[in-house]
Amino acid sequence: MHPELGREVPVGSIDKELRKLWAEDEARTNASLMNLAVYSEAPGALEKNSEAVRELTAEHACRAILIGIDRHAPEASIRAWITAHCHLSHGRKSICCEQIAFALTGKATGRLRNTVFAHLASDLPLIFWWQGELSPIFEDRLYSLVDRFVFDSSGWADPKASFAIIADAVTNATRPLVVQDLAWTRSFQFRVSVASLFDDPLVLKALPEIDTVEIVHHPDDRVTGLQMLAWLAVQSGWRDGMELDLAVRRQSGGKQGFSFESAAGKAITATLVSDEKSAALGLVKLSGGGVTVSVSREAGAPHLVRRIEAPGHFLEAPGPVDPDDCAGLIGEQLARGGKNSLFRKILPRFRELLEK
Amino acid sequence: MTNPFREDLVSRSRPEPCTVVIFGATGDLTHRKLVPAIYNLAIDGELPPGVKILGFARREKSDAEFRKGLEELNRKVSRSGHDEAIWSTFQESIHYHQSEFTDADGYQRLAERLDAIDRERGGKGNRLFYIASAPEFFDDILTQLKTAGLNKAKDGCWARVIVEKPFGTDLKTAQHLNQVVNRTFQEKDTYRIDHYLGKETAQNLMVLRFANAIFEPLWNSRYIDQVQITCSENLGMEGGRGGYYDKSGALRDMVQNHLLQLLSLVAMEPPTDLSADGVRDEKVKVIRSLRQWDTPEKVAANVIRAQYAAGHVDGKPVPGYREEDRVDPESMTESYVALRLMIDTWRWSGVPFYIRMGKQLPKKATEISVHFKAPPGVLFNALSGGVPGGNVLVIRIQPDEGISLRMVSKIPGTSLRLEPVKMDFHYATSFGKSSPEAYERLLLDAMAGDATLFARRDEVEEAWRFIDHIEHAWHQSNNPPPMASYVAGTWGPKEADELVQADGHVWRRL
Repeated sequence: MHPELGREVPVGSIDKELRKLWAEDEARTNASLMNLAVYSEAPGALEKNSEAVRELTAEHACRAILIGIDRHAPEASIRAWITAHCHLSHGRKSICCEQIAFALTGKATGRLRNTVFAHLASDLPLIFWWQGELSPIFEDRLYSLVDRFVFDSSGWADPKASFAIIADAVTNATRPLVVQDLAWTRSFQFRVSVASLFDDPLVLKALPEIDTVEIVHHPDDRVTGLQMLAWLAVQSGWRDGMELDLAVRRQSGGKQGFSFESAAGKAITATLVSDEKSAALGLVKLSGGGVTVSVSREAGAPHLVRRIEAPGHFLEAPGPVDPDDCAGLIGEQLARGGKNSLFRKILPRFRELLEK
Repeated sequence: MTNPFREDLVSRSRPEPCTVVIFGATGDLTHRKLVPAIYNLAIDGELPPGVKILGFARREKSDAEFRKGLEELNRKVSRSGHDEAIWSTFQESIHYHQSEFTDADGYQRLAERLDAIDRERGGKGNRLFYIASAPEFFDDILTQLKTAGLNKAKDGCWARVIVEKPFGTDLKTAQHLNQVVNRTFQEKDTYRIDHYLGKETAQNLMVLRFANAIFEPLWNSRYIDQVQITCSENLGMEGGRGGYYDKSGALRDMVQNHLLQLLSLVAMEPPTDLSADGVRDEKVKVIRSLRQWDTPEKVAANVIRAQYAAGHVDGKPVPGYREEDRVDPESMTESYVALRLMIDTWRWSGVPFYIRMGKQLPKKATEISVHFKAPPGVLFNALSGGVPGGNVLVIRIQPDEGISLRMVSKIPGTSLRLEPVKMDFHYATSFGKSSPEAYERLLLDAMAGDATLFARRDEVEEAWRFIDHIEHAWHQSNNPPPMASYVAGTWGPKEADELVQADGHVWRRL
C-alpha cells in the first residue's frame, strides 16, 4: 500500500523485523548518530517525509522514525513499516540508515509516546521535527523526551500564540530543550553575510550612524524577515523607537514600518517589504553615515550578493545561500549543531515585534 | 569597537579580509592546494569579503594567464566542484606579480601593487605572505620583504607570514631561518605550516583525549604498553620527486615535522587552555622530553633506516630506490625509517613510542595505535588460546579517517573461547559531508590570527635537535649504522621487525 515506506510489519515485531532486514544484506553498514523523529498531521506526509529522510541520511546517519497522525479518524489504529535508506559513501561502502514509519489514527494517537518512542536507538539524541501547526499532542510529556525540537513557523496561522507555547516549553522543559525554527535557519547565510560585511572597519565605524533598514521577504516568510530585524536590533543594541513617524509605522500595502533608537539616541527606521517575487529573504539593507551595506538574493539564485557602497569604497562578493527545502535546512542545522543560543536570545524581541 | 553581528554566530576565530601574497605562485602547491582551498572557502561562505590573492613568481605572466591556469586546475581538484558564477567573481580578486625572488626592485613594485589593489578593490591593508617557493629562496624572500618594508603592517592592520616545509634541513639551518623570519616578522605573526595538523583526525586527537572521561585516566605508563605511529606510502619517486627526496629522506621529510607533531598531540599533557601558546607549550615539552639518541650506538639500537629494492606494489613492478629517476645510484638516503622513542616524563616513563615511515609499502595509510597493557591473566590464561591480545585504540589519520577500539569478547557457544572484536567509527560513515581540506582550515586560521595548528619556533628547533643526532650518526660518524633493505611492496626491513621484537612487541598489521 505504501511502497515508499518499505515493508509493513506488526507493531510488536518491529525490532525483530529490523534484524531480519539487516541479515538480508551483510555487505551494508548500519550507521546512526541520532534519532530523527518526523511528525506530521498532514495527509500523505509519511511518503513525502520518507523522501526527505532519504536526502538527509546521505549526510546525517540516523535512525528515522516517521509519524503520521490522523487525530480525527473514527477508528483507532497503529500501523508500522520498516525500510533502510542506503547511500554509497565515497563511492565505496554502502551506508544505511533504518527508518520506521508509524501511522496512528483516532484515539491511538494517544499512544504516540509509548508506542513510537519505544523504538528509539538508545544513548543517541532525539531530534524531533514537527511539521505544521502545533497541536495538543505537543505537550510536556512529549518535549521532555526531546533534545532538539525543530519546527517551521513560516506556515503558522497564529505565530503569536504558537511562539508563546514554544517559549513556555523552553522554560518548563525538565531537560534542556533546544528549539530550532526553520524560518530562523533560512536567514543564516544572510546573517553570516551581514556580519562579514561589518568586519570591514569602515563599515563597522558607520554602524552607529545606521538610520535606515530595509528587509524584503516573500509573503510566506514574514516570520523570517521579522526575526532578521529582531536580530539586527538585539545585536546592535537598538531600543524600540518613539512613535515619531506614524505614517511609516502603519502597515500599508506590502510594507510595514518599525522605529528604533540606537544607544546614542539616533532614530532608525526599518521597513519590512513583502514581495511575491522575492526569495524567502530577498534583501537586507542597512544605510547611514554615507555607507550602504546590503545582502540580496534573487528568487532561485544559487548565490547571495554581498555589497558595500561607500565613498571611494565599493565591494561586491558572492556568498552561499541557505537551502530552499526544509530537509536541506535541517541538514545544515544538524551539521552546525550547537544550542541555538542566538535564537533564544532574540526570541523575546522577535515576539515583541510580532505583536506590532 | 567589535562587530556585534559576529556575537554567537559562528564558533570559530574570525578571519579578517586581507591580501594573500603567494611566493612560488606558478608551482604545484599554489595550483593544486592553495587557490582551490581559498576558492572552496569562498564557496562555503567562510572567506571574508575583500580577500585578494596576489601570485608572485619569476615567470612572465599576465593576470589573465595566471587566472586561466588556476581555473584549469581548480576544475580538476576543487573539493566542491567548480562553479562558473562564483569563479568569475572570485577570479577578479586574483592578480599576478612577476619578479625574481632576489630582485629588490620587484618587492618595491610589489608594495606599490598591493597599495594599488587596496585602493582599487577597497582593501584595508592586511597582508598574508605565503612562502610556497623552493626552500632555497626562503632567506631571500624574507630579507627582501623586510627591505621593502612589507613586514610592517599599517596602523590597525597586520602582516603575517606562512612558511611551508621544509623548515630548514637541520637544526643549524632551522635556527638560521628562524632568525631570518623573526628579524622580519614577530613570532606571533609567523605561521609554520604542517598540513597534518589541519587534518580532521589530528584535530580530533585533543577532543578524543580531553573531552572524553574514559581515556585520559588510562593515558599513561600504568595502562599503556606501547604506542605506534605509522605512515606508509605505496608510492616511490614518481613524477621526478626523486631529486628532492634524495636530498631529504624519510626522517627529515616526514618524521621531523608531521610524525613528531602527531606524537606531541598523543603524548602531551592537558593544556591549561585552547590558546595557541597553551597548546604549543605542552606540545614542545614532549619533544623536549624525548630521550636523545646522541651516539651512533644509540642510533643503531633505536633507529632503523632502509631503502627499497625492486619489487611489486599494487601488482605492478617497481624499481629499487637507487634505480629511481633523479636518485643517486650510490645514494645513502633512507626511503624507510623506524624509530623507538622514549619520552622521559612521569606520564610516559618506560613506554616505547614506535614510529615508522616508508615509501613503496603495500598501502597508503597514516595511523596512531595505542596498545594497552594486558589485564591480569588470573582468570582466562588457563584457557586454550589464552587472552588474544590487549586492547588497542587506533586513530586513523588517512585514508578512511576514524577511530577503532579492539576489545576481547567471548565467542558465542557452550565453551569459553575469547577473540578480539572491534568497535569502529568511520568519519565517512557517520558524517556524510566531506571535511574541508587541511589547507582550508589552516589558511582561515592564519587569516584569523589563530596559530594553534601551526608549529612554533621552539617546537621546530627541538625536533631538529633530536633528528640531527640521528642524521649525524648516519652521515658523519666513523661507524654509521648500516642501511637495511626491503623489497618494495613489503612492510619494511626485517631489522625494523627486530627493533620492536626486542621489546616483546610486533608492528601492528594494517
